[in-house]
Amino acid sequence: MKLLTIAKRGVGVAAFAGATALAMPVGPALAADPVVIGYIGSLSSDTGLSAYRGAQIAVDELNAGGGILGGREIKLVAADTQEDVTEGIKAYEYLNEVENADFILSGSIDDVSLGWLPRMAEFRTPTLDTWTSYIGIIEMVVADYEKYKMYFMNVGNDLALGTVYIDFGRDVLARQMGWKTVVMLQEDTAFAGAVGGFVGEELNAQAGIEVVETIVYDTQTVDFAPIYNKAAALKPDFLFLISSVNSQVPSSQYVKLQVPVPMTGINVAAIGLDFWNDTGGAGGGQSTFSPLPAIGMDFDPVSQAFVDTYIARYGDDRPIFPHFNGFNAYFGLKNAVAAAERAGGFEPLDDWVREMENTDVVLEKDGQLWHRYAYWKPGEIEPRTGLEFTHNIKFDMEAPYDDGIPPMVIIQWYHDGSPRVVYPPKYANGEFQVPPWIK
Amino acid sequence: MLNLLIQGLALSGLYALIAVGFTMIFSVGRVLNLAYGTYIMLGGYVYFTIVQEQGLPKVAGFAGALIAGGLFAVIVYEFLVRRLEGNPKAVSISTLILAVAMQALIVLIYRPTSKSMWPVINGVFRYEEIFVTYNVIVATVTSWVALGGLLILVRYTQFGRAVRAVSMDRKGAVISGIDPERMNRATWMISGALGALAGVFFATYTQLFPSMWVWPLIIAVAVVVVGGIGSIIGSLIVAHIIGFMEVVTTTYIAAELRGVFTMLLIIIVLVMAPKGLFGRGDI
Amino acid sequence: MIPYRQLAGWAVFGGVMCLLPLVLPPGILRMVIFANFLAIFALSWDFISGRTGYVSFGHPFLIAIGAYSTAILSFRFDWPLIISIPSAVLITVISGLFFFVPALRIRGTYFALVTLAFMELAYQLTQVLRPDITGGTRGISGITSIVSGAVPNFYLSFSILFVAALLLWFLARTRMGTALAAVRMDEGAVTASGLSTIRLKLFAFGVSALVAGIGGAFYVHYLGSIAPRAMFDINFLFQILVAALIGGSTTIAGPIIGAFFLTFLLEYLRPFIDGPERFLIFGSVALIVYVLKPNGIYSILESGYGLALARFRRFRPEGGPAK
Repeated sequence: MKLLTIAKRGVGVAAFAGATALAMPVGPALAADPVVIGYIGSLSSDTGLSAYRGAQIAVDELNAGGGILGGREIKLVAADTQEDVTEGIKAYEYLNEVENADFILSGSIDDVSLGWLPRMAEFRTPTLDTWTSYIGIIEMVVADYEKYKMYFMNVGNDLALGTVYIDFGRDVLARQMGWKTVVMLQEDTAFAGAVGGFVGEELNAQAGIEVVETIVYDTQTVDFAPIYNKAAALKPDFLFLISSVNSQVPSSQYVKLQVPVPMTGINVAAIGLDFWNDTGGAGGGQSTFSPLPAIGMDFDPVSQAFVDTYIARYGDDRPIFPHFNGFNAYFGLKNAVAAAERAGGFEPLDDWVREMENTDVVLEKDGQLWHRYAYWKPGEIEPRTGLEFTHNIKFDMEAPYDDGIPPMVIIQWYHDGSPRVVYPPKYANGEFQVPPWIK
Repeated sequence: MLNLLIQGLALSGLYALIAVGFTMIFSVGRVLNLAYGTYIMLGGYVYFTIVQEQGLPKVAGFAGALIAGGLFAVIVYEFLVRRLEGNPKAVSISTLILAVAMQALIVLIYRPTSKSMWPVINGVFRYEEIFVTYNVIVATVTSWVALGGLLILVRYTQFGRAVRAVSMDRKGAVISGIDPERMNRATWMISGALGALAGVFFATYTQLFPSMWVWPLIIAVAVVVVGGIGSIIGSLIVAHIIGFMEVVTTTYIAAELRGVFTMLLIIIVLVMAPKGLFGRGDI
Repeated sequence: MIPYRQLAGWAVFGGVMCLLPLVLPPGILRMVIFANFLAIFALSWDFISGRTGYVSFGHPFLIAIGAYSTAILSFRFDWPLIISIPSAVLITVISGLFFFVPALRIRGTYFALVTLAFMELAYQLTQVLRPDITGGTRGISGITSIVSGAVPNFYLSFSILFVAALLLWFLARTRMGTALAAVRMDEGAVTASGLSTIRLKLFAFGVSALVAGIGGAFYVHYLGSIAPRAMFDINFLFQILVAALIGGSTTIAGPIIGAFFLTFLLEYLRPFIDGPERFLIFGSVALIVYVLKPNGIYSILESGYGLALARFRRFRPEGGPAK
């Protein structure tokens, strides 16, 4: 069955390629060369496919509306990275030197983005990232704006994500649940090292929660029973998991073992709607962060329309629901094109960058700001951290969130298989829960 | 202390089960089959498809996994290993290529996203501060049964004597009326089926993902190499050394160093005692 | 005894490659650059594994040592490349000794396993030891490049390949080189004839590590970034192995042919099929060629050339101008 859909996809690609090949020579006017938009990312992972499909829907809508930049059609070209660093570099070169892409949309993971970043600086192609949240890339843009100014990141960076977690810890874990001690369980990746260190320190300083122990585990760990036994023996009030690689191993073993301590944290596997089927319906009680827009949310009308289109078009083929970066790709591509319309094209680079920095799209729900697509400008200081986040999506880290989105929300999977948002209160539609086996 | 003992036994049981099929091929054919990890992967994915996707009973899942593993192993033997016979280097290189190609096939069919397996048996055993899942207990017992069965098969049956005869003196075996090809095929089939069985349990511990074959292969290699070629008892002992070492490392030293010690053990033993800790035992 | 025909072959190879930028667009040149680097790695691998029979499954370890050393020295400690690259090559050659020590005691499949264990160990350690220097799992990005653009990088990478290949070709023709084949066939006989196998092996490992180190160091400055998943990786090993074997082991031309064949096979499939299908095809082709033609494409070409030559001679009129 799956082989069949893959075969269909292959036929689709071939037909598309054939169609464009036929269309090119007999096209209405030579002046209307297509605008080439490249997609770089995995074409088989949920994350990568979310971004790719978001881009496809945006491109189809723009083409149906008569094209862009004076009626030119958009040609979307995908280059698969297979989440491999070297393949990512080759893919970036391919998009630039074979396909001559005018703009590149990325659904790459951290180390793949870092891999092609030097190529981006060389080719100077406008690029928008939708998945990686690595603050190191934003720091590179801040430190060397001239070199990296063509880069934009459509998701809040690690530091911003961590900051909301501290607020969640203070408001919910400490005040509402009354928890005072935690054992951190973090994988031995650079992502977990950075987030874990920050969250651990700040939970103590701002929420009064003491880190009893930090257990760093190997991402290839087969058996988590010794680790959970060790953690439970320390009798903390809760466990804080940070897992971005092989996330289903620690989370599913937590459920299978019925570890008698509540657990929350970051579990990247749980941010997509396919999680419920992947765990065979045993994912209840798990909570994780997710950047916005997240599954389980009540959407604003524009985002809801995107969701409806997505489900109508791809709903049976996983991912059955777009991940946050699917939204980011859809809106990000449209924003990049709108900036190009204002600047007169993707070239010259400085004009496009200036207009991209001026992007300000506000989505409202019930008369309130629900989502805002804007980017930090060079020199602009984020008030809470006192730092610059040049070309990161603009976020607001203070409670009413009326100047931008919070960098993330906390999702809770309920036992009936429905995900709900439990924090921050502005977006919440459910309550934070502990697993049923814990009294 | 009791906790350590239980956790160590459980993990060692799984590792012994992973390694046993690999030991068998190594002891009989003296070939390093680096495609062994793919039997484990195949077992896991086939069980998942039958039980979790199609909703058929678990027995069907196990049967399907064992058949798929055994069949695939025979195919590997017939079309690859037999053609390269007498050249162990070519076998290890070509089976490694095969393993990477199989990984691509799994990505193609199942996508790279990892999948969780339900436990074979639900529930948790609790004793004071200690908790162990029934699934792990079943895996451990299965591994003991499989190992015991194999030991009996190899030592006390006609089939076992024939297999041993082929591995020791092929010509002599032919003269005494044994068909070495049939014996080899049978050995490969059993090895594949055992690998697939281990794969089902391995996947219920961890998850299904396309590169899941690498770590079990490392474990199998470590167990066989450190234990000494073809020694089933040696393999059993070394599986316990590695399992307990891992539990002690994760609990008392640092969980992130888990794999480092296993690698060091392989390197040190291979360099210091190339024949393994338990020598070139016959069985 | 100057091998004129082979020298002519080298000259033609060098000449044709130098003309490529005139005819190929930059997109294709980028593929050739990757093929050049893969050829360097495959040559380095083949010098140990093909010639002496000590199959190395840990070659990415050596390449990564060279790559990481110069990346760290130049990026973290601001060393100029002219010092960091030679230092990295030196470090790689010393690391080659890690490989050499086990080779004194074990061989064949066991040796392959130890080298594989080295690679896995190094992979785990980059995440655990000093991630502030290695960059941990994310690695390092923004490493200085030596030259930029497809054409200059093509000439740089091809020069390294050409020099490395010429060096290995020359060494293989020395008495040491010939003796290496004897190590593969029968180590006991070599010892019996009064040659030191230890010295021979030290020579082979040193040369192989030297080439791996040079290749790795220039590779990382070409890529501009490094990550453990790109280096200490079975897929990387797989490409090196397959390039050497599919092209033809124990030759100089073989690994180069193999590297080009593989790179172009993979890249030309890109527009038609995306993703894992390419690797499936790639692996299957490699396996079929390896099982049917263990001596690789080189032997096919060679026999084809021999056949053509024989036919040519046969059709030459009896009293022709031959000789």
